[in-house]
Amino acid sequence: MPETLSEPVRRPGFFGRDKNFTRLLAIFVLVFIGCAILKPDLFLKASNFQSMAKQFPEFGLLSIGVALTMLTGGIDLSVVNIGNLAAVLAARVMISFAPKGSSPEQTLTVVVAAMVLALFVGALCGAVNGLLVSKIGIPAILATLGTQQLFMGLAIVVTSGRPISGLPMIYARYGNRNIFGAVPVVLAVFAVSALIVGVLLSRTRFGAKLYMLGSNATAARFAGINVDRLYVLAYMLSGLLAAVAGLIMMARSNSAKADYGISYTMQSILIAVLGGVSPNGGRGNVQGVVAAVLILQLLSSVLNMFENISNFYRDILWGIVMIGVLIINYLINVRDLRRQSQ
Amino acid sequence: MRKLLASFVATVLLAAAVALSAGAGEKKYKIAVVPKDSTNAWFVHMEKGVRKYANDTGHNAFQKGPAKTDAAQQVQVIQDLISQDIDALCVVPVDPAALEPVLAEAMEKKIVVICHEGSPVENCDYDLEAFNNADYGAFIMDNLAKAMGEKGVYTTMVAHVTNASHNEWADGAVARAKAAYPNLTLLAAEPRVESEDNSERSYEKAKELFKKYPELKGIVGTSSKDAPGVARAIEELGLKDKVFVSGTGMPNESRRFVKDGTLSYITLWDSSLAGAAMCALAVDVLNGVKIVDGLDLGVEGYHKLMFAPGSDKVLLGSGWIVIDAKTIDDYDF
Repeated sequence: MPETLSEPVRRPGFFGRDKNFTRLLAIFVLVFIGCAILKPDLFLKASNFQSMAKQFPEFGLLSIGVALTMLTGGIDLSVVNIGNLAAVLAARVMISFAPKGSSPEQTLTVVVAAMVLALFVGALCGAVNGLLVSKIGIPAILATLGTQQLFMGLAIVVTSGRPISGLPMIYARYGNRNIFGAVPVVLAVFAVSALIVGVLLSRTRFGAKLYMLGSNATAARFAGINVDRLYVLAYMLSGLLAAVAGLIMMARSNSAKADYGISYTMQSILIAVLGGVSPNGGRGNVQGVVAAVLILQLLSSVLNMFENISNFYRDILWGIVMIGVLIINYLINVRDLRRQSQ
Repeated sequence: MRKLLASFVATVLLAAAVALSAGAGEKKYKIAVVPKDSTNAWFVHMEKGVRKYANDTGHNAFQKGPAKTDAAQQVQVIQDLISQDIDALCVVPVDPAALEPVLAEAMEKKIVVICHEGSPVENCDYDLEAFNNADYGAFIMDNLAKAMGEKGVYTTMVAHVTNASHNEWADGAVARAKAAYPNLTLLAAEPRVESEDNSERSYEKAKELFKKYPELKGIVGTSSKDAPGVARAIEELGLKDKVFVSGTGMPNESRRFVKDGTLSYITLWDSSLAGAAMCALAVDVLNGVKIVDGLDLGVEGYHKLMFAPGSDKVLLGSGWIVIDAKTIDDYDF
């Protein structure tokens, strides 16, 4: 059919020109239908959806943070540790300044102040990463591996390695509440954060520059973009998201500890890649990452519904999914290139 | 005639009892057991006990845990399970503090929550512990005394003198020796040594002790690194069958020494029995059985539960086991 060949290779799809997202959406629908067929009685229940909605925000936010740094061609291996450090410090502040028996007003003020402090700590840690990567020029994977240890070490020093519990009641109570009795607070936090980052990337000059930096850092530099500042901002944003994730984990467990969620580091990289973010930078978006988060949550929850399948297999399943997606992406790229050259 | 009547009555009563127990057994529950880490050998062994319990009783008991020892992941798994119409949840917490909110949610949903090795947990119906610490120490002492021929000088080894449970075990062992074995004497110069929970340290420490005190004939180990380390020292010094060690030990780490007799006995609790006992306790709570001192869960080592002193939540079994050269191959962790 010569007509189709003469058409532009990248046709505007349903969602802008994002074929990757359309593909992820299709996978999501397939997985959803698969789950519904396999376990209709347990899966298709409001309580199951609420349960899932409470689980993915923490690692979803970490994944978006990692994705942001991957867009610049880097990576952030320290997100979990930033989140924990922020949470640990916030917990310390809450316990010291709002001990049991404080007036509700005082407690509320301290809780809000502690949360602001956590966000500040997150951004600060991110800035350290960004400076190491840009000004000093350490490869991101090494720089953040180093700060991973540093932030974890700091959190261990602050806590002596033990969990900090006994936080003011209102924190966990509001953090684990459902808005209108249906939408978990943590889900709302995730949605708002994802929306903000999505708008930043797709609708602002900052986002456009970030893509440019990721596609070709040298070109970006010659185009007069302040590359160092851009790196620092990207890592700060990642740190900020990590701090929000840390605050969520703190609400979910009503405590903070230096090593909560340590297994999320690899998981969030997996999700970012699954979501179509190129490890080489310059490609990917937030909606793709969100779709990947949802797919993995579906897989994880449905796996927990099979009493006889050990969670041993969870890692295997995820590994297969990740490698499969990488292969598919590679094949599609090859196909597109071939079409372009024809 | 009277005999006939009596046997008739007895038969009827027996039949009624069988019918009643069958009736009580009709209600089958769904029980989820969440270990710290489903890939760890200790908890793989626990799963065997849970499966066996499910097969024996017909309850739908199954084990489901995080793939890594991570408190946050354990919360996620529990979150999933409590939306799946389970009747009871049995948990071995990675970190008791982190589980409180999600366990509170489980209890709001009227799910019976049983913990194991989680005595600080507040949001649970009961916490089941394998044993009372002092009694376990006495049990280690009994085994050591048997190996030593009930006479001679001994000392005790703990990970750190600040470790609460190890020292309670060691104290229990010393108390037992005083009460039951008059010919055993505690090494006065060094009654308690530290191994730092490290088999290299326990090995060095034991070598040093046996050289320094030729009269020393036995060591009570508490940390699971103590007994294997001491056994290595005994082997190297050629003191096998002259000095003895008994204490907590993991079968895989101690297998070689137990088999050749350098290490007389290792003691520990059996995770598969603990898994089954948690399920049995959950079923009792679900069936409205009154939980009182002396409760029998029908699981070996958990026939006569006692509340911990001053607690109405923490239940103690007598679930210790001893492993020697004959039985060690039954354990694969």
